[in-house]
Amino acid sequence: MIAQFTFSILLAGIVIYAWSEYARSPVVAVLTLLVASAGLYFVWMPEHSTQLAEAVGIGRGVDLILYIWVCLSLIVLLNLHLKLRTQMELITALARKNALADARPARVQTGQRDTSSPSHDVGLS
Amino acid sequence: MASRSQVYVVIPAYNEAPVVSRVVAEVGRAGYAVVVVDDGSRDATADAAHAAGAAVVSHPFNLGQGAALQTGIDYALAQEAEVIVTFDADGQHRVSDISRLTETLLREHADFALGSRFLGQAPNLPPLRRALLRAATVFTRLTTGLQVTDTHNGLRAMTRRGAAAIRLRQNRMAHASEWLSQIATSGLRYVEGPVTIEYTAYSLAKGQSIGDAVLILLDLFARRLYR
Repeated sequence: MIAQFTFSILLAGIVIYAWSEYARSPVVAVLTLLVASAGLYFVWMPEHSTQLAEAVGIGRGVDLILYIWVCLSLIVLLNLHLKLRTQMELITALARKNALADARPARVQTGQRDTSSPSHDVGLS
Repeated sequence: MASRSQVYVVIPAYNEAPVVSRVVAEVGRAGYAVVVVDDGSRDATADAAHAAGAAVVSHPFNLGQGAALQTGIDYALAQEAEVIVTFDADGQHRVSDISRLTETLLREHADFALGSRFLGQAPNLPPLRRALLRAATVFTRLTTGLQVTDTHNGLRAMTRRGAAAIRLRQNRMAHASEWLSQIATSGLRYVEGPVTIEYTAYSLAKGQSIGDAVLILLDLFARRLYR
């Protein structure tokens, strides 16, 4: 019973985390919610995990729960990867602003050099 | 009517010191305004480009070609550019193709003129790279619905309105597909124009591999998972 309560608290925490992530990444949030909910269910209904495990050819219910845990870890890793990408976008915006503020204008206006070029007007209005 | 000085040629460059001066000088001689975005190069790319007459915007560290192009577009828009052209720093594009593309842009009343080596020429294109580019074209046609013939061509011309509709978020090479998906989303008119890509030992060494193609696919997949 102690293990069941402990796992339930952990998995409930993951469910809340997934919900809070929904606005940023719905796909990851839904996947996490599904897997964590399945984990919660099996913690309290271990005999069902054994039945399901046998039905899908895994063997033991505890192995099924282990696989679910691995899936959950991979989804969390994916979410971390996506968060890093978001961070990179912010860093890029900051670096770009900095670079544009420090831009070095052309020493000679390159666009006005060769006035003998045959077609200087590109005709755009 | 816009003069060539209102056509800004954006050249992203990363460790291109050996070739960037020549490219900038050639584009500048044709009368275009040039902006080189030095993408955190460890060599003298920025100084070489500036000495050759380009405006230079330097990223504090390497962010990727997509990020560099967006920075260059932002700079050109701030300088009141009427037309913006993206151009590679490694010398594989022809300066004469810039006017062909900008003229196509005008003639066709389009907002984007995309260079295509498969409508033009690509001497010395290795067979493996040709196959990779064909596969990328099929992928992009399926995902964007745009009937383009060359999806990874760095030579493009766009109007000010077209440039303002582009907001690249793929810092690395996956930006090539992002261009097309954003053009499709914008609903703005696009055309393709023939260009020549001249492969040299230098440009081939700096080009993309099959491993890069896999990373591009992963980047595009990851992008669809979050807002």
